[in-house]
Amino acid sequence: MPLEFARSEPLTLGVELELMVLNTRDYNLTRGAPDLLARLEKVKVDGEIKPEITESMIEVNSSVATRFEPLGAELVHTRDAIVAEAGKLNLAICGGGAHAFHHWSDRRIFPSERFLKVSALYGYLAKQFTVFGQHIHVGVANGDDAVYLTHRLARYIPHFIALSAASPYFQGEETSFETSRLHAVSSFPLAGHMPEVGDWAEFNRYFDTMAGYGIVASMKDFYWDIRPKPEYGTIEIRICDTPLTVQLAAQLAAYAQVLAADLLRNREAGGVAPQYLVYGYNRFQACRFGFEAMLADPAAHTHIRLREDLLATLYRIQPLGEQLGAGAALRAIGDRTQKSMNDALWLRECFQQTRSLHDVVRLQAERWAADPAKPVAEEPKLRAAK
Amino acid sequence: MDLRFLPALPLEVSYPLLFGVLLVAGMLGGETARALKLPRIIGYVLVGFAIGPVANTLMPSPLIEEARIFVDIALGLVLFDLGRRMDLEWMKRDWTLAASGLAESFITFALVFATLTFFDFAPVQAGLAAAIAIATSPAVVLLVAQDSRAEGQVTERAMNLVALNSLLASILVTMQLAAVHYEVRLDLDTAVLHPLYLFAGSLALGGMMATLARAIARLVDKRPELHFTLIAGLVVGAVGIAQSLKLSVILALLAFGLFAREGAGRHDLLNVDMGRATRLFYIVLFVITGASLPLSSFETAGWMAGAFLAARALGKFLGVLVFAPIGGVRVKQAVALGAALLPMSSIALLLQHDVAKLYPGFGEQLAAVMISAVIVMELIGPIAVQWGLRFAGESAPDESPLAPAAAPAASRSLEA
Repeated sequence: MPLEFARSEPLTLGVELELMVLNTRDYNLTRGAPDLLARLEKVKVDGEIKPEITESMIEVNSSVATRFEPLGAELVHTRDAIVAEAGKLNLAICGGGAHAFHHWSDRRIFPSERFLKVSALYGYLAKQFTVFGQHIHVGVANGDDAVYLTHRLARYIPHFIALSAASPYFQGEETSFETSRLHAVSSFPLAGHMPEVGDWAEFNRYFDTMAGYGIVASMKDFYWDIRPKPEYGTIEIRICDTPLTVQLAAQLAAYAQVLAADLLRNREAGGVAPQYLVYGYNRFQACRFGFEAMLADPAAHTHIRLREDLLATLYRIQPLGEQLGAGAALRAIGDRTQKSMNDALWLRECFQQTRSLHDVVRLQAERWAADPAKPVAEEPKLRAAK
Repeated sequence: MDLRFLPALPLEVSYPLLFGVLLVAGMLGGETARALKLPRIIGYVLVGFAIGPVANTLMPSPLIEEARIFVDIALGLVLFDLGRRMDLEWMKRDWTLAASGLAESFITFALVFATLTFFDFAPVQAGLAAAIAIATSPAVVLLVAQDSRAEGQVTERAMNLVALNSLLASILVTMQLAAVHYEVRLDLDTAVLHPLYLFAGSLALGGMMATLARAIARLVDKRPELHFTLIAGLVVGAVGIAQSLKLSVILALLAFGLFAREGAGRHDLLNVDMGRATRLFYIVLFVITGASLPLSSFETAGWMAGAFLAARALGKFLGVLVFAPIGGVRVKQAVALGAALLPMSSIALLLQHDVAKLYPGFGEQLAAVMISAVIVMELIGPIAVQWGLRFAGESAPDESPLAPAAAPAASRSLEA
């Protein structure tokens, strides 16, 4: 039975954000999701707010947007609603890719039938999966475009890693990585990237083969960094840490949108095999070194610094971005790139200043709840205070 | 041959030995209770019941006197921890929390007062006993929550309500001392000044200790083990100062905890988890409490204690249920919360002890009622809290380390 690729408006946008639920005493993760979600049922927001694998997580799904600005406005509104309800329960909410000091074994599986089954299958991986990512959906016209974009966006995965990285601390330790979250994802079977299928028909044959082996039952069984999402008619980029602000989340979505538009207008030819040969290496470089990563370029047989590659890409797509109403977002991203500013750095500066991971998470929660009028490109107040 | 280096018979029982025995026997009692799926506290208390008569025959003076220092340290730590968990910011954001705390305290007071008046106790006596009835045992709630690894709204709200009702109980007792002074015909100055001294002095001591804690915290690295030592030292010191100055240990330590938390944006002091390290003192606290409760009082005042406890329980449940719908607390959660407010233990004993010391007219009979009530609640209270936290779904599930075999592929996905 072939997978049906749903129709959707090309280049529409949607994001999913996984968020941390904290206590306000020591800012550890806490079992607050059931009560918080019960309260939020009575609050009107666009999109959806859902449980996740453990009871210290919630997931925000935006509604479908065509442009960056309304998406950002909606996320601000949803964020404010969540923060207000959480406050009444004495809970705090924050972004970031992983909690800085929680112990995975303290987590509790959200007691839905599906999550309990997942936990039974994966054992400790299920609780270890208490990490927090942003998924970006971009609408495509058909399955062939989805396969094409999934392949071509693979080259840009390091950009998204460096821009969103927000998990330098893991289980109470400095990891030396910009993002430690991706290691939790890599543990799952069928993680990595989509195989080198040429079009949607070929993808379907691959899927049928895997289903025939009894390994997969649906697209959800693939933990790829980018994957087609036929039910929604989108491709889904799953590489980003949840940023510390909703504004950055919206900007990252805008970057994905404009990149996709550029790749669809200026179709690239040639095999994808060389890009996939360097994929794992480049991904590691970005996780470890962020903007300073040295990316292998399989076509030119050279290495290029991630920051320069990202700035060059932004320069190339800026005109298209202006047409799509995403100019401001791209400029903000360019600004951060030039200053080598990301959330991992912000968190490290917080730690330098406070010498306590509890304080780091507290500041993270304050930043998440901060005034929507505050421009995102602004440097953290801690840095400015120096 | 001179054999004087050998100990003389009969052997003298030393207090370090006693302390060691209490600790190990208490721990074993706790684990036995755990094996029966009962709260560990019940094991500690029952060991105390058993050790009490033995210790009293071996020891020259009552156990409680000799081991007083451990009890004081334990109570100091409990009260500090409780004060630190009381969150005024939360009460500002959700006024129904504070309202339900006031409601359960005052309804409890009123119902217990009415019950005792019905039994022909004088209003002054009934008022003091009713004020003591307001207090929930923080040690029981903290320990059971810790043992059940409970997390969630009921747990958090219970901690805040316990802090609030302990505070209200000690304030009310302090205020009523004025009436007591008047009754025993002390001059009016003492009647006013003594409660005022207790109240203002204890709060000031708490505030000063919190300021001192912050100042010292700034001098050292922000590491949990250092801050734990700092807090433990200052808590014990504060207990000592409160005793020397004849202040209220309960008020002073609650205030210390509260001020240590509410720092108006200051975060010099880490919110270290006192749990595991303080278990030692908790065990001794409950064993000694058990050992020093005269079980005979239950025979003389048993049925009156039953009425006292029924009125008290009714007040607690009514109080939290009244504000539950407005505060968005589900009925199930409110019932669990009411159950978590039932325990009565050392705070009640301490308050009763203070009152009896100042006011011999409090009466043996009322003391017997209170002590019988405490004996009953030492056993029922922990079970009520354990049940409540489980009923609310906040206790950690007993997970079997060996999960069932792999589920079919269709159910594998982590995402919706």
